[in-house]
Amino acid sequence: MNICSCVVHTRPERGAEIAARLEAMPGVEVHGGEAMGKLVVTLEDTAEAQAVDTLSAIGAVEGVINTVLIYHYGGDDIEQSIPEEDHP
Amino acid sequence: MKVTRREFIKSQAAVVAAAAAGVTLPASTTAIAQSGDEGLRWDKAPCRFCGTGCSVLVGVKDGRIVASQGDPDAPVNRGLNCIKGYFLPKIMYGKDRLTQPLLRKKNGKFDKNGQFEPVSWDEAFDVMAEKWKAAIARSMEENKGKPVEKMTSRVAMFGSGQWTVWEGYAASKFMKAGLRSNNLDPNARHCMASAVGAFIRAFGIDEPMGCYDDLEHADVFVLWGSNMAEMHPILWSRLTDTRLTKPGCEVHVLSTYEHRCFELADNPIIFKPQTDLAILNFIANYIIQNKAYNREFIEKHVQFQKATTDIGYGLRPEDPRERRAKNRGVGKKHPSSFEEFAKQVAPYTLDYVSELSGVPKKKLLRLAKVYADPRKKVSSYWTMGFNQHTRGVWVNGNLYNVHLLMGKISEPGNSPFSLTGQPSACGTAREVGTFAHRLPADLVVKKKAHRDFAEKIWKLPEGTIPAKPGYHAVLMHRMMKDGKLNTYWQLCNNNMQAAANMNEESYPGWRNPEVFVTVSDPYPTVSAQAADLILPTAMWTEKEGAYGNAERRTQFWRQQVAAPGESKSDLWQIMEFSKRFKMEEVWPEELLAKKPEYRGKTLYEVLFENGQVNRFPYEGQITDDRGNVYENHESEHFGFYVQKGLFEEYRLFNSAPDRIKKGHEMAEFQAYHRARGLRWPVIDGKETLWRFREGYDPHVAAFNPNVEKGDVYFYGNHKSNGGRANIIFAPYEPPAESPDREYDLWLCTGRVLEHWHSGSMTRRVPELHRAMPEATVYMNKRDARKRHLRDGQIARISTRRGTILARVETRGRNRPPRGLVFIPWFDASRLVNKLTLDATDPLSKETDYKKCACKVVKA
Repeated sequence: MNICSCVVHTRPERGAEIAARLEAMPGVEVHGGEAMGKLVVTLEDTAEAQAVDTLSAIGAVEGVINTVLIYHYGGDDIEQSIPEEDHP
Repeated sequence: MKVTRREFIKSQAAVVAAAAAGVTLPASTTAIAQSGDEGLRWDKAPCRFCGTGCSVLVGVKDGRIVASQGDPDAPVNRGLNCIKGYFLPKIMYGKDRLTQPLLRKKNGKFDKNGQFEPVSWDEAFDVMAEKWKAAIARSMEENKGKPVEKMTSRVAMFGSGQWTVWEGYAASKFMKAGLRSNNLDPNARHCMASAVGAFIRAFGIDEPMGCYDDLEHADVFVLWGSNMAEMHPILWSRLTDTRLTKPGCEVHVLSTYEHRCFELADNPIIFKPQTDLAILNFIANYIIQNKAYNREFIEKHVQFQKATTDIGYGLRPEDPRERRAKNRGVGKKHPSSFEEFAKQVAPYTLDYVSELSGVPKKKLLRLAKVYADPRKKVSSYWTMGFNQHTRGVWVNGNLYNVHLLMGKISEPGNSPFSLTGQPSACGTAREVGTFAHRLPADLVVKKKAHRDFAEKIWKLPEGTIPAKPGYHAVLMHRMMKDGKLNTYWQLCNNNMQAAANMNEESYPGWRNPEVFVTVSDPYPTVSAQAADLILPTAMWTEKEGAYGNAERRTQFWRQQVAAPGESKSDLWQIMEFSKRFKMEEVWPEELLAKKPEYRGKTLYEVLFENGQVNRFPYEGQITDDRGNVYENHESEHFGFYVQKGLFEEYRLFNSAPDRIKKGHEMAEFQAYHRARGLRWPVIDGKETLWRFREGYDPHVAAFNPNVEKGDVYFYGNHKSNGGRANIIFAPYEPPAESPDREYDLWLCTGRVLEHWHSGSMTRRVPELHRAMPEATVYMNKRDARKRHLRDGQIARISTRRGTILARVETRGRNRPPRGLVFIPWFDASRLVNKLTLDATDPLSKETDYKKCACKVVKA
């Protein structure tokens, strides 16, 4: 299970609008920072998407200037690895 | 209130993110975060990926790393973390992690053509020592009666800018003092050597004068061959912050293709490969023509010189390009003057340079003007675009010329700054001196006084350390192919994949029957698979470590978890291997006669039980200020606090009262376990932010008691010219190989955000692998169309040296201009170094991975 948090930079006047768009994404919660254009966001794995994919998707949202990761918890499924045949 | 563990972790994550952003959260969120304890032990560690040197907090539970967060107390990253930091804990838990030594065997015996079989450490070191002893015996025979200036060696070690400080230090001592071989070079040769060369030539001392604080002080940022957005994301976010909040701030980005930094560029510049040399000379010419230069600074602080020209391309001597070069490999500088310099840059006019570089005049002028404006503070950043360059030392120097003409140096915001690729290319490779020509603390093997000093600290008889520089990275492979180098130990890197011209040099060298190759690595990399013996390595926080980042910051960490299986750190491996050698097997009788008490001892006893390294007892565990307890597997094994002993002996080189080179001082061992790193020189416990300027750097007044308040003194050149920095004229000279009718495109190689260190660790992380599974060939849409290639189709890319297949990408994050293709080099199934040419800067011996000629056709 991956849970992480990041700060998403937007222009301050667009903070609320972009927060709403991020909230619509699977596993995403916006906890504050709309007025400053520094959204405090948590992401977690869902059936539809892994947290890291959501993180990339956030970077691609129009109006997002920068995404910075802060915290990551990778508790249980850290064992997971790439399939053997992909290795050199 | 009852909360689930998931809710708790989420609120914890939100609270630390809010703190990093300076945002206040509703009480409902913070209350949950305060309601309990995650049950994790948190401790700091510098990230093991790039040279930025971010500090992360590592969360350990039940002997495993399960969480990480940007360290809020770290001045470098201030609580932020980049995507690579997210994956830090995961790189240790790849499924194919090596856990025991593997030796190629047939019929129960070592066989170069055998299959890998698990063996014990004892058997591994037995076979390895036998091979090393045979090679050393040959060298001792060949060196009979030779002075130290002529000594050669058939054994070699290839180390790393990802080594911890003490691993590099132990390696240097083991090779240069113990085995009397200067054949020790780091992979940092491939990334930083040109920067080092230019620092020494201009300032007489290595590493940047400025620091990351410049990112908030500058008015203008210029990126020269640096894709900071992908390679140094935390520095990029600091730069972005300044650009977006400081009125008038602008960003200039120069590259041979468009990359992610261009999104923020106010003056985006695409230039033809190699013409950066000419662009810089144009800026110098512009400054002089417009009389914008800082006359007072130049008169007081600058000396003019000129470089020897037509120096070749560091290829094999029989290559026609080398035969044609008049002054092959000559680094000698000649005296010059301001007037002569002005005449030399005069031909670099706007018209000429615009034509040569393909850059519109308007853009060149805009760039020149920001450097020439005395009111604008300019910070210039570069990485591999400058360094991996057949004229890398020159192009670094040409940028210093521009900054020095204006006096824009050694003060907040005015900063020519060489960024580092690896986490300890500075701390380990450069400062410890694991290069073939170096000793710790900027000392060099060529100088008798430097060898004498090292021999005194290491308690060696006079004449132990050989005076002739050993084989550098590229030369090692050539010497292996030629059978002149017979044992090679690669640690903490992936040189079979990383070194240029794999088909003609690296692979034939490694598989030469006369050569025995050992690779120490956590994973079965391309290198490991090409080796004869693989040793499983403890990585990152599986050992106690120290790194030095690009801004001279030394950072420590403690061992957080145990390494899997029989894996041991490189430090353990080097020290343990040294037990296999009796002094009589590595030193000739006449040297032993000068130190008879060393007779019958092992190399381990002489190097590591010398009363210095083994001075600090190990209490059986390491305890931090908060009472948390950690293991330390090397100290447990050797019976003393290994890391502390090695670091304190290393400090005799840079901090003892009789040190030869001042300016590299470090604090005592324990201080680094407390601080979030300290930037050297550390004087009386205080770090130095800007070097060479009075008020910031206490050395200035010590060297030059008459210095005016706030003035500079380049004390690295105190002895050679009275403390002046050198402006060294160097012209534009063409690359070693340029596109022609048959091979009609430029090939440029580099990295991508998701993968670091040739992908040896990052490719083990499923999410990263999925995000960027294979290397593609980035090319211009029109170039693709001309070859009947569409996005996603497979292309065959060939050079005079080899061929690979890769998918075409015309709309990706990298957008080359017509005439150039870009291929990243992390992909072990598409080895781009089958294509690249092993041309090097003849001065720094660093390979040019950024330009050779290729052709692309539909596969």
